[in-house]
Amino acid sequence: MNRRPLDLVSASLVAALVILALAVEPAALDAQPPPSDTGLGSQDELTLVLEPGQRSLLRLAAPPARGTAALPAAARDAVKTLEDTLRSDLDLSGIFSIQGPAELAAAGIPGDADIDLDLYRSLGNEILLRSDVRSEGEQVVYEGRILDLESGDQILGKRYRGGPDLARRMAHSFADEIVLYFTGRKGVALTSVAFYSDRDGFKELYLMDYDGWNQRRITGHRSTTLSPDWSPDGQEIAYVSYFGGQPGIYRVQLSSGAKSPVVTDGSLNASPAWSPDGSKLAFARSVRGNTEIFVSDLASGTLRRLTDSSGIDTNPAFSPTGREIAFTSSRGGTPQIYVMDAEGANLRRLTFEGDYNDGVAWHPEGDRIAYASRRDGRFRIAITNLVTSETHLLDLGPGNNEQPSWSPDGRRIAFTSDRGGSHQVWLADATGARPIRLTSEGNSWAASWSAYPR
Amino acid sequence: MKRISMLLVCTVLVLMLPLVAGCAKKKPMTAAPEEAAPPPPVAQEVTEAPSPTTEGDVQPDPLSEDIQSVNAYVYESGLIGDVYFEFDRYELQAEARNRLQKNAEFMKAHPEFVFSVEGHCDERGTNEYNLALGDRRASAAMAYMADLGVPESAAQTITYGEERPVCTQSNESCWWRNRRAHFVITARR
Repeated sequence: MNRRPLDLVSASLVAALVILALAVEPAALDAQPPPSDTGLGSQDELTLVLEPGQRSLLRLAAPPARGTAALPAAARDAVKTLEDTLRSDLDLSGIFSIQGPAELAAAGIPGDADIDLDLYRSLGNEILLRSDVRSEGEQVVYEGRILDLESGDQILGKRYRGGPDLARRMAHSFADEIVLYFTGRKGVALTSVAFYSDRDGFKELYLMDYDGWNQRRITGHRSTTLSPDWSPDGQEIAYVSYFGGQPGIYRVQLSSGAKSPVVTDGSLNASPAWSPDGSKLAFARSVRGNTEIFVSDLASGTLRRLTDSSGIDTNPAFSPTGREIAFTSSRGGTPQIYVMDAEGANLRRLTFEGDYNDGVAWHPEGDRIAYASRRDGRFRIAITNLVTSETHLLDLGPGNNEQPSWSPDGRRIAFTSDRGGSHQVWLADATGARPIRLTSEGNSWAASWSAYPR
Repeated sequence: MKRISMLLVCTVLVLMLPLVAGCAKKKPMTAAPEEAAPPPPVAQEVTEAPSPTTEGDVQPDPLSEDIQSVNAYVYESGLIGDVYFEFDRYELQAEARNRLQKNAEFMKAHPEFVFSVEGHCDERGTNEYNLALGDRRASAAMAYMADLGVPESAAQTITYGEERPVCTQSNESCWWRNRRAHFVITARR
């Protein structure tokens, strides 16, 4: 937990919250009971924009839900899952410092007690997450409220109802609403991450929730399968597999599991990357032993070659607008990141530090790129600001850290690290703070973060 | 079992008939490595070596075995060998060119075999770039052999980047073994 003393910045924030809280519809919670696990409409007015690491964390007290004791066992387990997930989501968001049930109990506040706002405030908290639960038949009903501890006003309230198996989903939905309220951007708790792993023997594609839960295999090619890239609409993943002999590019429809080839002729087709409108794939293709960047128009199947250099050109990525493509090229002697417009013109070099740069990922806002940069023999994640051309390295810890992928809100970064002796997918704040490991079985590589679910 | 019995036959042949050269299998390059010319086509030797004591137990031509056995045989006998590369490079060193000349000899002498030339990399580069680099290595090896007269139809190239390492430790002796072009017979015409 990153607890920091209440400082002037957060004191003024509390003042701002008090004012804003008055503007919030106080009856939001009870306005319209939803028939399912979805929220009670979204809170989409922009309030405060907080960035992880840019200010003190907002201090949140999260006591245990009230009403748990009266629940049947299955519902009680579901509520525990929901509460644990919600606290984890809020912690991962990077904007809260949380006192959960354990910390509150240690401070002498018993669980499931009447709310005494002064007591929570006396521990330095600024806001309170109040949870009430009950069961309706087989379903769990969760009511979550965010209260401003200064005024006692309710800032946000949502009710969710669903079967016990939807506990994590209910938590993610509420967490995203809370993050939206405090940052103006929806949280990423309902997003997913694709990667490839050798945990079952062959290298295959897997999916997991953004927090590492629910890891499941989605290919069974029993070959070598690599390089997932999530389509912008979240419905498909493009990838590379050797099951046809040579490495070819395929796509899998996630709802049906149906796989189909995209480009499979020739000795090498690799590193697929979707255009933001989902109509094209950029990729690397070998032309007589020399890889060049191509684009495939998915509707017509036509290929267009964009580069023509004697060096290696590979690993392309469309900019968020779709107007540019960044990629890796060794045309200058060492692998470096270049950018060109989506038709292949206006080529220029973006990276000048480090003797080996690869794996470019555009920030969702398009103003900066992340990539792996070898420094003193070790790969680190570097960020280059495309406006100022300044580059800095993230301090993500030991080992080689590479293959960055941004969360759709740009506040988190997934990457591959080999610290500890095996390759695993890790997650950290976009500042590089708080790296946590998401995978542990076998080796896992090449996280591709999904867009927001539709 | 097959391999053991073959070894037995070989041993017997060596003991009884020192002239038989068919046992290159377990003993490449003993006394004078510089002089050791590539073994002549083995098929002939074997048929030339019917021994009274091994009558009815004729040694099979190792090149007529199943593909997997042939692949093991050509590597063990030194008829075919891997070529190795510097880190992040695909240029052929002198040693690699020597090796490719021998590989080319065999491939030209045995047009019945279809080869795959695999490009591999060590784990230190990035996965995606290494796929491209492996493609370069395989193509560089194939281009050199084409200059020596190996027809394009004799082989196709494939890159595995760092995805199928032969050695998985993180040290130079292991990395070196992974930076290679590897030859695999994939079919017999």
